Amino acid sequence: MFKIFLFIMVILYSKFAYSGPFSDFKAGAGLSEELSSSPTERRNKPNSDSIVQSRDALDSQNSEMWNDLKNKLLGKNAKVFFVEDVKIIMQDYIEEAHKVPLIVTIPKRLHNFNKLILLIENNPIQQVISLKPYRSIEAIGMNVRLEDDSPIRVAILDNDGNWNIGSKMVFVASAGGCSTPACDPAIEVCEPGIVGKIAVKEYEREAGAQRIKLKITHPMETGFVVDTEGEIIPEYFIKNIHVDDIDGPIADITTFAALSSDPVLLLDLPEKGQSVRVHVMDSHGLEFFSYKKNISM
Amino acid sequence: MQYFKNIIFIFILLNTFQALSKNNFNIHPIEVSKNIYVFMGDNNDANPKNGGAISNTAFIIGTKSILVIDAGPSYLYGSKVIEIIKSYSSLPIRYLVVTHHHPDHSFGLSRFIENGTKIIMAKSEINRYVKYGNRLLKQLKNIIGEDWFVDTKIVAFKNKNIKFPINVNLGGREIIIELYDQGHSEGDLIVKDILSKTIFVGDLVFNERAPTIPHANINNWNKYISTIMDSNWDYLVPGHGKLIKEKEELLLTKYWINYIDKIAKKAAKNGMSPAEIFNKGIPEPLLKYKLAKETWIRDLPLLINKYEFE
Repeated sequence: MFKIFLFIMVILYSKFAYSGPFSDFKAGAGLSEELSSSPTERRNKPNSDSIVQSRDALDSQNSEMWNDLKNKLLGKNAKVFFVEDVKIIMQDYIEEAHKVPLIVTIPKRLHNFNKLILLIENNPIQQVISLKPYRSIEAIGMNVRLEDDSPIRVAILDNDGNWNIGSKMVFVASAGGCSTPACDPAIEVCEPGIVGKIAVKEYEREAGAQRIKLKITHPMETGFVVDTEGEIIPEYFIKNIHVDDIDGPIADITTFAALSSDPVLLLDLPEKGQSVRVHVMDSHGLEFFSYKKNISM
Repeated sequence: MQYFKNIIFIFILLNTFQALSKNNFNIHPIEVSKNIYVFMGDNNDANPKNGGAISNTAFIIGTKSILVIDAGPSYLYGSKVIEIIKSYSSLPIRYLVVTHHHPDHSFGLSRFIENGTKIIMAKSEINRYVKYGNRLLKQLKNIIGEDWFVDTKIVAFKNKNIKFPINVNLGGREIIIELYDQGHSEGDLIVKDILSKTIFVGDLVFNERAPTIPHANINNWNKYISTIMDSNWDYLVPGHGKLIKEKEELLLTKYWINYIDKIAKKAAKNGMSPAEIFNKGIPEPLLKYKLAKETWIRDLPLLINKYEFE
């Protein structure tokens, strides 16, 4: 009888063993279909188990990382408030984890904030940027790397000394945004480009408002990637991006290798900047400058 | 009790074999026209079930020799194809046309080289195959499992500078091979069988599923599809999906590539981020395509990136 039991166990095991690489996917199979068709809208209308799951994962009480991160980056005695009106717009379910576009929209009451920090809790490099503004900013966008499923949090320091935290849970289909090579030859041309080429574009938004988009060609090596010969590629990333115009500085941004290679940054300003310029410094101490490419005039 | 044990034993036996035969391609050729056969790929993304055999492989038998179109994803697949072809005809497999370098079409080619088959492939695509092959292979192993790629190697092979179009005679069968460069890839090959008026177009045409645009020049691709529509054929074998008999079916590929290109250009012009576009979901008319979501999400940011700082 024991033998039969053993046989049955073997059969059961073989069934499980062959159920594929995603069989232990934490969020359950239903999630991607459920959420990614219209991600951020659904977030506000909880109507499925996956929403509950993401809510649980987002709850800072359940996070192993949050307290340490908070103490380290916002300060031990920081006054922290989890708010609904700071939104992170991005997909719920990520297929390509090396270049994940996201936009943080900042509510009117916080346009004149003091500092903004973007965090990815489950990344080996958790901090993505720390931004010090010199003017009102309405939204900020960037491309990031995701190592694994993770809560993403944006912390905005207001003028009363309170940190306003907006959160979003994202799930990653194939992990390794920080630890595998960024360029996928299946979908891209993987020629190493010139390091430090800066492109700045300005777009008009409604009522004189402006969007600044900038792109800096840079490998943004995380120091976690192994090349084809098995050697670790040393970390090499942009440390600081300074944006200004004729009227003075717009923002000073400390950056980390959790930004994608050839990072793209996006800033929405309520008023049009004049001759926007960018100054970049990387971890080798190299400096790169850009002057506005005039496109509309 | 003995009877019961036997049943259990047989049950386990079957299960074990199922497990062992996981990495065996269960493919059967379909006869499209006399002496023309197609192995239909699984019209899906590469996954551990299909072993990466997602595109169509075909063979044409003449009175003297055989020509194969596309090598499939791996050495195992190539071996299986050769084995099956040999059961159909004892003639030598003289030519393999690799329509372009993407792994699902090219990675079986080392098996054909071993077989003494002459490989016909655009020069630009040979370069890409050699240059990116090993990295792509590693990625594929990660996605669908090492076992599918036993003995699969990226081989640097020589190919004399072929001037396309070229004519090949298989014995009583005239084949024309044409180059369509900078379209879907840097150099797609099209194979025409004059006798049966069958045309093999590789990934210049996708049937049912969403076309992928990673290395594409949309303008040229668009023109090429028009050219294909205007040319004279009764049967068209696309790179992915079912056999095509009506010219109108080519419009599906056209519609998708133009739609995604238009959206990407508009987004780039307005300074939109892919994050904002995804937020709107996939456009209604594109939902009917197979793998619409996956392809849309993968390709749109690439296109926006391409256009936004132009």
